[in-house]
Amino acid sequence: MEKLLVSPSPHLHTKTSTKSLMRDVVIAMMPAVIVSVLFYGWSELLVLGVSVASCVLLEYLITKYLLKKPCTVCDMSAVVTGVLLALNLPATTPWWVVFIGAVVAIGVAKMTFGGLGQNLFNPAIVGRVFLLISFPTYMTDWTRPQGFIGGGIDALSGATPLGAVKEGGIAAIECLDYSDMLFYNIGGSAGELSAIALLIGFAYLLVRRVIKPYITCSIIATVAIFSGIFWAINPAEYTDPVFNILTGGLLLGAIFMATDYVTSPMSNVGGIIFGVGIGIITMLIRYFGAYPEGMSFAILIMNSVVPLINKWCHTKKYGR
Amino acid sequence: MMKTFSIGGIHPSDSKISKDCKIEVLPVPSKVFISVAQHLGAPATPIVKAGDTVKVGQVIAEPAGFISAYVHSSVSGTVKSVGPRKDLAGNNMTHIEIDVEGDEWVEGVDLSDTLITAIPEDNKAILEKIKMCGVVGLGGATFPAHVKLCPPPGKVADCLILNGAECEPYLTSDNRIMIERSKEIVVGAAIMKQVLGGCKTVIGIEENKPEALAAMTAAVAQLQKTAKGYDGISVMTLKKKYPQGGEKQLIDAVMGRQVKSMGLPIDVGAVVQNVATSLAVYEAVQKNIPLITNVMTITGDCLPMEKQHNYKFRIGMPLSYIAEVAGGVPEQAAKIISGGPMMGKAIANMEATTVKGSSSLLYLTAEQTVRGVESACIRCGKCAEACPMGLEPFLLQKYARHNMTDELEENAVQDCIECGCCLYSCPANIPLLDIIRIAKGDVIRIIRTRK
Amino acid sequence: MTQTIIWTIAILTILGALLAVVLYIVAEKFKVEEDPRIDEVEKVLPGANCGGCGQAGCRAFAQFCVESSPNLDKCFCPVGGNDGMQKVAAVLGVEVAVKEPQVAVVRCNGTCENRPRINEYGGYQSCRVKAALYSGDTGCSFGCLGCGDCVAACQFGAISMDPATGLPVVDEEKCTACGACVKACPKAVIELRNKGRRNMRVFVSCVNKDKGAVARKACKAACIGCGKCAKVCPFEAITVENNLAYIDFAKCKLCKKCVAECPTGAIHAVNFPVVKPKPEAVPAAQKPEAAPVAENKPKEE
Repeated sequence: MEKLLVSPSPHLHTKTSTKSLMRDVVIAMMPAVIVSVLFYGWSELLVLGVSVASCVLLEYLITKYLLKKPCTVCDMSAVVTGVLLALNLPATTPWWVVFIGAVVAIGVAKMTFGGLGQNLFNPAIVGRVFLLISFPTYMTDWTRPQGFIGGGIDALSGATPLGAVKEGGIAAIECLDYSDMLFYNIGGSAGELSAIALLIGFAYLLVRRVIKPYITCSIIATVAIFSGIFWAINPAEYTDPVFNILTGGLLLGAIFMATDYVTSPMSNVGGIIFGVGIGIITMLIRYFGAYPEGMSFAILIMNSVVPLINKWCHTKKYGR
Repeated sequence: MMKTFSIGGIHPSDSKISKDCKIEVLPVPSKVFISVAQHLGAPATPIVKAGDTVKVGQVIAEPAGFISAYVHSSVSGTVKSVGPRKDLAGNNMTHIEIDVEGDEWVEGVDLSDTLITAIPEDNKAILEKIKMCGVVGLGGATFPAHVKLCPPPGKVADCLILNGAECEPYLTSDNRIMIERSKEIVVGAAIMKQVLGGCKTVIGIEENKPEALAAMTAAVAQLQKTAKGYDGISVMTLKKKYPQGGEKQLIDAVMGRQVKSMGLPIDVGAVVQNVATSLAVYEAVQKNIPLITNVMTITGDCLPMEKQHNYKFRIGMPLSYIAEVAGGVPEQAAKIISGGPMMGKAIANMEATTVKGSSSLLYLTAEQTVRGVESACIRCGKCAEACPMGLEPFLLQKYARHNMTDELEENAVQDCIECGCCLYSCPANIPLLDIIRIAKGDVIRIIRTRK
Repeated sequence: MTQTIIWTIAILTILGALLAVVLYIVAEKFKVEEDPRIDEVEKVLPGANCGGCGQAGCRAFAQFCVESSPNLDKCFCPVGGNDGMQKVAAVLGVEVAVKEPQVAVVRCNGTCENRPRINEYGGYQSCRVKAALYSGDTGCSFGCLGCGDCVAACQFGAISMDPATGLPVVDEEKCTACGACVKACPKAVIELRNKGRRNMRVFVSCVNKDKGAVARKACKAACIGCGKCAKVCPFEAITVENNLAYIDFAKCKLCKKCVAECPTGAIHAVNFPVVKPKPEAVPAAQKPEAAPVAENKPKEE
């Protein structure tokens, strides 16, 4: 002790830091990552590697040479974006498409707004949607590459369940079993593979108090109620609630993307409004829109109203 | 189901390392420096001059306003000087320097250990005694006690809450007095209860102090059985959560009522006093002992067990002297705090002296206390979740940085209790409270000038 | 196809015309009558909106000038200075008294060397936060806290922190004497002083009101309130109050007698022309107070 340290109270601080929160999110995504790598093999590893590496590298280069600000790579938020982007792409995506996705995610959606904390839209989703619109052929190529285990045992080869419904009506998915969706057996983006893996991640995030359950639960509940009503009216035309919850990246979006701190409302009430909005928009796109699945678009649309929600939904104040 | 307050709060490790250390009496040093600003409000006016001889308990400074308090000499001896000296924060404040000679008390003081349970009937006399003995709130704010015990006309106290929560980590002085002086505290509570018109009295203690809970419950039961005037006093176990000891939080926890913004506890019929204040009231009213002593904790993770202490000190003792008696300042200590780690003050000057409200010398290591580098707000909302007043610190700090006083007032910055939960919980190390505290002062000033 | 184009053009034209009429009516109906001179005055103002005049901004100041005309004694725009006020007076057709131009002066010389740090500040880097917490990280509880609130307050980029001394430095060319830094400084270290003849100024670079010994212990360059300067001053420009000397810039005739007298070198004389040191003159080491003079010389043109 040479000189006494003097600072305003409080003198203790939580061990939680931006970095530890981001690390927890990465850990929570690990079950989904492991499942996708096991079933999609080397090509998924390539997508993951390119995505994470380019996100981190881009953030480093942009902060250092363009913004000339202290480097923020250490907070691991770029890693989160990279993993999320990879989980949102088909395992067969060529590396350069992944790289373009990373450029859009980090360069356009994140750093142009001023970096972490300033972006209006979830970077990974912006990257994904950009690719979906720019390279539709790559983005809807659902052929399953050879995995490390269980290659090619797709119950519904060549399409995602929601895509099949869009094309061939509800009859196209009669061969599907819920257990296929719950575990590993449906086509789609890498992260959609297994609902169980995503739910394990969700549980981890809740236990570590990284996120609160309001947004995720309100999305799932809204989708269930919305599709439930339509399904009850006409089960021959509309898909059922469980199917809608388990497919199309809904869980991936509800657990990892809609709950992104920066782009979601701060209050619990705001979170519920946000989740309900996402649920309704998703289902409207699925039932009546041109795209088979609407999670990404729904999140983007609701991201844009978050400032408004934040403005109107405040916390309950003591004594007021 | 244990009660607690309804909004926000955090759960830092309570680190009550010194909870089993019995209260020891600190030897009197050869010289004391007694500050005239030992309480909230106007500093007292010194009434002694250099060369005067004083006895222990003699008034040496008089209140200089309605919210002010008497200051008494804590030693007997000769006044050497009255003049500026640097206080805890390094600012000049008038101190009375006394050379100690012997230990001679003023007349009429009862220094025996006998418990006096019979409560005097004359409330006016009681209040006068509390005032004359310079009793102030010892929970941290050091608000003159007699002012709090006289509700403004038209307001009636429904409930006297005795604050034994001691929610600040590390501090154990309240815990010790509740164990060792439980009966005196209950008598003090009964006195205050009578002054307030015989309202119900609840002693709120957090669950992490089982010994104190047991001792206080037993003391209440015994006094209710053997003496008059102790009905309606009860002990309540509270769930451990910081800042339970905050006045507004304690009222919410115990009574389920919330004080309005800019309001006083008495508006909802509550009066909150710390257990240490209750003990001071007992000593003042039953024993005629003015408030010149209090208990402080010497603790820290870097101190070995044998150097952890709970000391009964007298006001005016230099902190460096106390640290020396307690075994020296540990090498690893980077910051020394007077008070708890959440709301206490970092000591800039160890030559400063103890005051009535001193509650600890807490040694924190650099690892524990150095703040991380500030990074961008990730809008996680953890500060808003932690805020016990339901404020949105992330928003307030943004407005404060741009001096947007209207928005600050709209978002209730004036309700901030400076508990530090926001800064504690921020993962991006944003100096939320540092900024909000200044803005709060500005906004309150604006509100006052408007009235 | 052609029809579509014609229809489109027609509809848009009609719509445009209709809206124009609506806009015209609204503008006429809700027109606010304002003294046209306010606009004219505003035009000749610098437009910095700094608030140095005491008004909310340049437009508010223009209004204030028009309202208080013909007596502009209370109106002064420090940014525009006397020239600016002459222009305002010309617009309003009145006379205005010439004011002495001023500049912000930092009255603290508590450099890292003069005033050793005795503790370390670990909170938010803001003078206001620091001042609210405690006396600062040096033994002096009056001087500059060094967190740069004045730098942040200056709209003209005229103040910067000198990393070597830890003290703010005022760029006299850029300083407009708007007073924002004076308001921002919680320790009242910065003062607006008359620029002086050819920018030459003599001032006490200290605000410490502690007793001499205490002040000296905290800072080598502190004013110890010995009063030698006041005795030597032939113009009664120096007063010593609360152990601190103050030079009234209105009375000071720049004789520099006090500078040589000051035992701690707390009195600074800046922007005086260089006197060629003669070989037999007193060695510089014995005259530490000469140092700031030398430092400030390059600034003079």
